[in-house]
Amino acid sequence: MGASGAGKSTLLGVANGTLTPTDGAVRVLGADPTGLSGAGLRRLRSRVGTVHQQLDLVGPLRVVHNVNAGRLGSWSAARAGWSLLRPQGVEDVVAALDRVGLADRVFDRTDRLSGGQQQRVALARVLVQRPELVLADEPASALDPALADTALEVLAGLAADTGGALVACLHDPALALRHCDRVVGLVAGRVVLDRPAADLDLRALEAFYGVTR
Amino acid sequence: MTVLERPRAVAPLVRDRRRWAWGLGAVALVLWSLAGTGALTGDVLNPAGLSQAGRFAAGAVHPDLSGDLLAVLGGAALVTVAYAALGAGLAVVLGALGAVAVARTTWGRRRLGWTLTRGALAVPRGLHEAVWGLLLVNVLGLDPWVGVLAIGIPYGAVTAKVFADLVDEVPRGGHDALRAAGASRSAAVLYGLLPPAAGGLLAYAFYRLECAVRSAVVLGLIGAGGLGNQLSLSFQSLRWPQVWTAVYAIALLCLLADVGGRAVRRRLAAPAQAPAGVLRRDRVLVGAVAGVLVLVGWSAWYLALDVRTLVGARAREQVGHVLAAAWPPAVDGELLRRVVALSVETLQMSVVAIAVALTGAVALSGVAAHPGPGAGPGRRVAGVAVRAVLLVLRAVPPPVWALVVLFVFLPGVLPGALALGLYTLGVLGRLTAEVVEELDPRPRAALDALGARPVGAWLVGTAPRAVGPTLAFALYRWEVAVRDSVLVGLLGAGGIGVLLSAETASFDWPAVATVLVAMVLLTLAVDLVSARARSAVR
Repeated sequence: MGASGAGKSTLLGVANGTLTPTDGAVRVLGADPTGLSGAGLRRLRSRVGTVHQQLDLVGPLRVVHNVNAGRLGSWSAARAGWSLLRPQGVEDVVAALDRVGLADRVFDRTDRLSGGQQQRVALARVLVQRPELVLADEPASALDPALADTALEVLAGLAADTGGALVACLHDPALALRHCDRVVGLVAGRVVLDRPAADLDLRALEAFYGVTR
Repeated sequence: MTVLERPRAVAPLVRDRRRWAWGLGAVALVLWSLAGTGALTGDVLNPAGLSQAGRFAAGAVHPDLSGDLLAVLGGAALVTVAYAALGAGLAVVLGALGAVAVARTTWGRRRLGWTLTRGALAVPRGLHEAVWGLLLVNVLGLDPWVGVLAIGIPYGAVTAKVFADLVDEVPRGGHDALRAAGASRSAAVLYGLLPPAAGGLLAYAFYRLECAVRSAVVLGLIGAGGLGNQLSLSFQSLRWPQVWTAVYAIALLCLLADVGGRAVRRRLAAPAQAPAGVLRRDRVLVGAVAGVLVLVGWSAWYLALDVRTLVGARAREQVGHVLAAAWPPAVDGELLRRVVALSVETLQMSVVAIAVALTGAVALSGVAAHPGPGAGPGRRVAGVAVRAVLLVLRAVPPPVWALVVLFVFLPGVLPGALALGLYTLGVLGRLTAEVVEELDPRPRAALDALGARPVGAWLVGTAPRAVGPTLAFALYRWEVAVRDSVLVGLLGAGGIGVLLSAETASFDWPAVATVLVAMVLLTLAVDLVSARARSAVR
């Protein structure tokens, strides 16, 4: 948790290997992404799934292709191309969309969906990717409270399934307390809070926000 | 993955039939055109010309930079600029007058009048500048007016249409409120419609000036003087270093026109902030407009234009003679059969050209686009090299490319199509690169972050978003290409242009009239199909 500009997204970027740290070392799933390139880096990246704040979906494609994009790490280029003509693995895609309540929109164009629906497509994408480490940047920002709970349950369940972990940036303290084991607070890129969620209550977290805001 | 429960039945995948029909139709059209130009069957290559092509290519690295040639080319560049400035100036005047005649604002609900005036514009628009040049030279003789009118008339028709559309697209609220308050029609237009449209009108006028530079070069090829004429002379005497000097001069001139025009248009799109309470005009824009006006005045003096030539007795007599001779157009079976066969050939030529250009443009788009901040030096150098090649491709007019292609190809329609394809690649490659540059980089970056292979990430993350605008540009360039294939034909590379050139040379005016009608119909048909197809890819 942390105010805007505290360095939450930067932390996730360093963890999925899209940003290179200027200083210090980073280990992700036992490997150093800055020391890898080419196929090795791609293999590590396919084990890390990211749900982005800005969605990053391909608007003109149907939902099924955007969800299938989660498997591009394991698919050959030929299969990726063929899937655009004849969607591959539709059953898994529908199952993933069903878990976020969007199965009936599988063949719709993605840019015709609302913001909240698009955010759920992004969740389904990381579900079919089945990564060991799930990074989520404001995964519930465009969802109503009930859907926000569903989203975090789905992501936490995915991490539990693969025996990995979920790291989520959240603005809503209540959501963090309900779904997370550990809460880390950032201010200007530094860790100022690191406690098990069980030791914290809502008032303490809101006070933390009040200080940094 | 673990499926918690059986998924619900989902709606089946419904494909967009209209797009598939257009796609299959386009593939069939390209194959038919390739077969028609002989690309799929028979001998098309001429291996004996390889050495000549090599000598030509070698000239690229050591152009002739002697002082004499540079002085000649400098003078020629002035002539080209003068034709471009006068042609574009005339086009803007004609366009402004024509816009009043074809705007919906003028006609209101009277659809018939609007449709008729719009239709009348199709005739000057359907004929290439070079065709106008060829016709006018028969009426006015060798006079600088020929070049000016040849650019001004077709450009004026296009400008009238675009100006009218720009004014018609302005929201009507302000105008209607003025009318309701009792303002006269012209006052309401002056205060309510023109100010919101002014930026767009000025931007388009400058865009036309850029295009006019290219057209002035082309007119030089058919005798109007300037850089095109120098290029043609050097080519005929096989002096490759001189040819390349002329090519680079044309490329430089086109680049200057592009950069200047783009600077003005960018300024119009994002005006500078003026301090509150002060009436201050944008100095750059005022300077640009004043500069162009001075340039037009200088051009008229430099080319020694004389209005008396236009209204003199000789011109009137010639026009009367040609019109009387041309009516009625020839309709004998033999001529009509040739016209139809050559129209088909022209169509096939333009289709092959667009197919070649689109393939090349897509292949080069990744490298031609300006790289992001994280790009390495190798990628940067490759980008600069590809953009320079594209600039040279579009600086050399299509008929000159045809002569180059003829080194290694046997004469026929195919070399003409390839020449047009090379030139169009220069334009389309730039446009496609711009499409890629304007894409949001984040969806592609997200796919890279989840470990996608580069090809897969391009197929899923980049291509689907670029395909619509790229195809729209390709279809628009097809409309231009079908006009340009007439030009390539005029200089002998096949298609209906060959027939026009032959019939004008023998002063067979009824036959010329028939060919012109066929050209206008052909371009109209292509415009119609292209507009429909563009609405399908949107």
